[in-house]
Amino acid sequence: MWAKLWRARNPSLTLSMFVVLVVLLSGLLTPFIDYDPVEDVELKLRYLAPSFEHLLGTDGQGRSVALRVFVSVKAFFFPGLIAGLIAVVFGSALGATCGYMGGLIGRSIAALLELIDTLPRMVFLILICTIYQPSITLIALVSSFLFIPSVATLVRRRVEALGAEDYILAHMAHGFHPFKIITYHILWLQCRALMIRQLIFVFAYVLFIETALSYLGDYGVQEPTPSWGNMVAQARTSPTLWPWLFPAIAIIITIASLLAVGDALAQQEEEVKR
Amino acid sequence: MSSRLDETRGWSLSVWVFKRTLRSFALLVGASFLIYATLRTAPGNMVDLILGINGTEEARSALRAEFGLDQGIIMGYGEWAVRALTGDLGRSITFSPGDNVAEVASSAFLVTLALSVLSLIVSVTLAFALAVALGRPRPKHNLLLTPLSYLNAAPSFVVAIVLTSCINALIYMQLEGGGRMGPSWYPIPTYQAISESLAPFSFAMISISLGDGLFIDLFNALRAELRSVSGAQYMNAVRAKGAPVLPHMVKNLIVPTLSIFTARLPLVLSAVVVVEYIFTLDGSGYLLLEAARVRDVPLVVGVSLFFIAAVICMNLILDLVKAAVDPREVTRVG
Repeated sequence: MWAKLWRARNPSLTLSMFVVLVVLLSGLLTPFIDYDPVEDVELKLRYLAPSFEHLLGTDGQGRSVALRVFVSVKAFFFPGLIAGLIAVVFGSALGATCGYMGGLIGRSIAALLELIDTLPRMVFLILICTIYQPSITLIALVSSFLFIPSVATLVRRRVEALGAEDYILAHMAHGFHPFKIITYHILWLQCRALMIRQLIFVFAYVLFIETALSYLGDYGVQEPTPSWGNMVAQARTSPTLWPWLFPAIAIIITIASLLAVGDALAQQEEEVKR
Repeated sequence: MSSRLDETRGWSLSVWVFKRTLRSFALLVGASFLIYATLRTAPGNMVDLILGINGTEEARSALRAEFGLDQGIIMGYGEWAVRALTGDLGRSITFSPGDNVAEVASSAFLVTLALSVLSLIVSVTLAFALAVALGRPRPKHNLLLTPLSYLNAAPSFVVAIVLTSCINALIYMQLEGGGRMGPSWYPIPTYQAISESLAPFSFAMISISLGDGLFIDLFNALRAELRSVSGAQYMNAVRAKGAPVLPHMVKNLIVPTLSIFTARLPLVLSAVVVVEYIFTLDGSGYLLLEAARVRDVPLVVGVSLFFIAAVICMNLILDLVKAAVDPREVTRVG
C-alpha cells in the first residue's frame, strides 16, 4: 500500500509522505526528550531572527522556536493516535453491525450515529470541558467519540455493498461464522485502506482541535509547555513574525500532508476497485 | 390523468415534509437528552460543581428544581426539556448573575447566525466565481491551485491571524515608513478607515469562508459539477435553443452545493466559536467560551442547545430547499 504511493512519483505526495514520516518519528522521539521550558528561558536572546544558532529564531523569552516546534509534537501525537484508533475500532464495529444486521438494530444504531453527527464538535468539547476537568486526554477521547459516526457511515456503506457480493454469499453458504466474515473477509481484506485513512483524518482533527484549544488558552496545552496553538497565540504580543509564523506553517503543512496522504490512499483504493 | 399524478405527488411531498420535520424534532430531543445525561453523570455533586461550595441553600434548591435533580434521569429530563421548550433555560450564575439564559443566549445568537450564513454565502460565491473564471482545467492553473490547496489544511483561526497580520503590516508600513513598533497581530486594526464594528465582522467572515477547507471543498465540487453539467445533453439543447446558459447550470448546481453545506455546518459553527473569540465579536461562540471560563454551567448548556438547534434547523431548511429545487431528493432522503 505505502510502497505503491511512494512509487507513484508524484512530488507533492512524496513530500507529504516525508512530512508525515517526520511527524511520526518526532512523535515517537519527543517522549524521550527532556525539555524544560522554564530552564530554556534566556531573556538576553529575546525575539531573535532566524540564524544558524537559532534555526527558526527565538520567542519573547529567548526560547528557541525550532526546539519548541519540535517538542510540541508530543502535545497531540499520542492523543491523536489513540483517538484515531478508538474512533476506527468502534466506528467500524458499529458500522459493520449496522450494515450486516439491518432491521431494527441497524436502524437504531444508524439513528444514534446521526444524533452524534449533528453535534457541533467544538461546542460539545467546550461543554464537556466545562463539566469535567479539562485535559488533552479527555479532549482526545471526546473527539474520538464525535468521529465514530463518520467512520461508521463509510464502513456501513461498504459492508452493505459487499454483503450482496457472490463471494461473501459463498462464504456464508460454506458455513463461515458471520463474525469471521465481517472481521476478516470484509473489514480486514476490504476496508483496511479506508480505516487507515479515517485514522489519519481523526489524527489530523485532533491536531486541529488541540491547536485551536491551546490557542484559546483555557483547555488545551498551557504555557509554558509548548504547543503549536499556544505558540501561534504569541502573535498577540510579539513584535516579530518568527515566534508564531513557524508554528502556524507547521500546523498547515502537517494537516495538509496528512490529508494528502489520506486522499491518495482513497484514490489508490478506487483504482484498485476498477 | 396528469392531474391525478400531480395530486398523489403533492400528497407524498407533504408527508415527506412532515416526516422530515418529525425526524429533526426527534434529533433535537435526542441531542438535548445527551447533554442532559452528560450533566447528570458528571463526577461529584452537580450542584456543588455549578455553585461552588459556598452557594446559599435557596440557590441550591432552586438549581436542583431547575435541572430536575430530585427525580430520576428520565423524569428530570422531561421536566427540564418542557421548561426549555417554553423558553426557560434557567438563570446565569457567574457570567451575568441572575439574567435569563434564554435571553442572553438568543441575543448573542443573531450575530453567530449572521456570521455563519454570510460566511457560507461568501465562500460559495468566491468558489463559483473562481470555478467559472478558470473554466476547463489547464496545466497552468496548477500554479494557482497548488498553493490554494494548502488552504484545505489551514484552520480558520490561522487564516484569521495571517490575514490580520498582513493588514496590520500594511497599516504600520504606511504609518511609520516601514518600521513596525506594535505586535505583529492585533485583534482589530486600530487605525481603520472602515466602520469600527464592521471591520472585525468582515474579517471573521472571510476567515471562516476561506479556512478549514470550506472554500476548497466548494470550489472542487462546483468545478466538477460545472464540468459534468456543461457536458450534459440538456445543456446542448439549451445552447441550441439559444437560451441563456448560466441560469440552467446554476439550478443544477444548487443541490450539490447544499449537500456540502449540510456536511459542513457543524464544522463551520465550530470555526465560528474560535473566530468570534479571536475578533471578540459579541456572538454565541464568544459567549460560550467566556461562560465556560467562569464555569457558568446553565449558560454554557443554554448556548450549546442553541448551537445544536441551529444545526438541526438549518439541515431541515437545506433539505426542504433541496426538495423544492429537485423533487427527486424526496425519494433519496425520505
